[in-house]
Amino acid sequence: MTDASKQMMAQKSAKIAAGAVVCVESEIRGDVTIGARTVVHPKARIIAEAGPIVIGEGNLIEEQALIINSYPENIMPDAEDVEPKTMSIGANNVFEVGCVSQALKIGDNNVIESKADLGRNVMLTSGCIVGACCQINTCEVVPENTVVYGSNCIRRVQNEKPQPQTLQLDFLMKILPNYHHLKKTVKGSGTPIRS
Amino acid sequence: MASLLQPDRVVYLVRGEKRIRAPLSQLYFCRYCSELRSLECVSHEVDSHYCPSCLENMPSAEAKLKKNRCANCFDCPCCMHTLSTRATNIPAPLPDDPTKTAMKKAYYLACGFCRWTSRDVGMADKSVASGGWQEPENPHTQRINKLIEYYQQLAHREKQERDRKKMARRRQCMPLAFSQHTIHVVEKYGLGTRLQRQRPGAPISSLAGLSLKEGEDQKEITIEPAQALDEVEPLPEDCYTGPICLPEVTTLRQRLLQPDFQPAGASQLHPRHKHLLMKRSLRCRKCEHNLSKPEFNPTSIKFKIQLVAVSYIPEVRIMSIPNLRYMKESQVLLTLTNPVENLTHVTLVACEEEDPDDINSTAKVIVPSKELVLAGKDAAAEYDELAEPQDFQDDPDVVAFRKSNKIGFFIKVIPQKEEDVDVTVSFKIRHDFRNLAAPIRPSEEGADTTAEPIWLTHHVELRLGPLAP
Repeated sequence: MTDASKQMMAQKSAKIAAGAVVCVESEIRGDVTIGARTVVHPKARIIAEAGPIVIGEGNLIEEQALIINSYPENIMPDAEDVEPKTMSIGANNVFEVGCVSQALKIGDNNVIESKADLGRNVMLTSGCIVGACCQINTCEVVPENTVVYGSNCIRRVQNEKPQPQTLQLDFLMKILPNYHHLKKTVKGSGTPIRS
Repeated sequence: MASLLQPDRVVYLVRGEKRIRAPLSQLYFCRYCSELRSLECVSHEVDSHYCPSCLENMPSAEAKLKKNRCANCFDCPCCMHTLSTRATNIPAPLPDDPTKTAMKKAYYLACGFCRWTSRDVGMADKSVASGGWQEPENPHTQRINKLIEYYQQLAHREKQERDRKKMARRRQCMPLAFSQHTIHVVEKYGLGTRLQRQRPGAPISSLAGLSLKEGEDQKEITIEPAQALDEVEPLPEDCYTGPICLPEVTTLRQRLLQPDFQPAGASQLHPRHKHLLMKRSLRCRKCEHNLSKPEFNPTSIKFKIQLVAVSYIPEVRIMSIPNLRYMKESQVLLTLTNPVENLTHVTLVACEEEDPDDINSTAKVIVPSKELVLAGKDAAAEYDELAEPQDFQDDPDVVAFRKSNKIGFFIKVIPQKEEDVDVTVSFKIRHDFRNLAAPIRPSEEGADTTAEPIWLTHHVELRLGPLAP
């Protein structure tokens, strides 16, 4: 067990698939896998402390967004043998400016608006929209196509999932390389390159 | 520290029909009566209607016809935000050639806050950007309109009979009395009281109308009385046992904003046209002069007439409060600002023992006995380097600092109540006011063109906060 955990700890690098645009100014720590066609803006932070993070394709992670797989509050980091849990994020999600996401499982086509806050025990399915400044720190699975909005975080269900931001992604993938250096991508699953 | 500048810390007393205590920023000053006025002792009149999102102006008659709603803008039925029109491209067959499809623009309404779209309630996308959206028709409209017409006619007839009776008895002795009485009655059925109020000579003109209307009043509108039903629709079988789908249930607020339908399900919430807002003008009730008259243009925030109290009355503000202790004298620093351009003399007087205005104070206050002199407000002072600062002989015990048209001065406060949550002091402030608006009488003495100052007294109350623990 300790060997496996040591191996995990040795793999402290980001695997960025070909086709993803990850700016150098973004902070990526720990074992993070980023899928194709994903755009990570500068000053975004993806921190895998207590386990790896797997991010799918077509995601848009904007400035100052924080995706963190952290230790739960009441557990000390090195005290017990904690099983590292993988945080998985699906495809076509949008993490708007300044949001904080600690949710372990996020599906597809979700939109997490600015300054929203997701707790560790929430699981977003698909098509959910978490409104600006809304906090969800309950232990639940948010049903599909739910919209959380308002200062009291009231909910409603919408008829269709939000549109994928393909236009925006295409635009960013063209423009960002003109102004920022990008992190190196790997072809397939080769040797991990230090970021 | 910013909490000391909260507007409700310093309130001025308005002696109108009701005694109202309000901060100076919310009061008006009638310079013809030379008195403070609050919102409750002025009459409010509607100036114009406008839509808050498209800023379109509308005359009052048109607004009444459209039921005070804008024709172009919609409100989200879910969160009451303004709806915006979005466009998508959908493939649609060309009219000439059904086999080929071209991209056509389709428009739908969407809310940016709660992400409601018009497709959620099943409204089809329209091909025109604006003007294509219809509100659903209320099934009871015809019956309601007929009832309104009948009652308007009834009210009119009652008013005529009453006027005729009063005329026969009083012979134009007290015209104002009975026209106000009929206004009160007529208001019930909404015939519109503005017409009566604006014409004080109403009885005479209505008399003239009487003889004309008698001949016209031929068409009688009859209505069928409402039918009482014995049988009521039964509740559905699973009313108590069926599971509730919470997202589908509308909130009370959403329901009551559409009183025509009051839908219980979220899939029947249709957007409504946006309510118009209005610009109002205020008028002093005693002298009938306008106190506040906004500009007609909805995009302009300025006023044609703006007689607000802060530009005529010196304003007292709290600057710093030391620790207040029970029965111990402490010095509180206040500031006085002079809003007018000429020199102002201010005297502070503590309230007497049995002052009927002094109901809230919980501490004794010792105000400076000397007269305070405030320099005039000089807008160009900061640019004028050569101006010599005026020399006022200030007593350093009383005046802490002086800065252009503002002075800081000390008052001594002795809290009288043990365990006081909010120490309140009150005093009277007496200042001279030059009425530049009043017409200057042609000077018989010669060169006496400056207006005579009159002395105004205001009752001021300050809330200083709790005692120090």
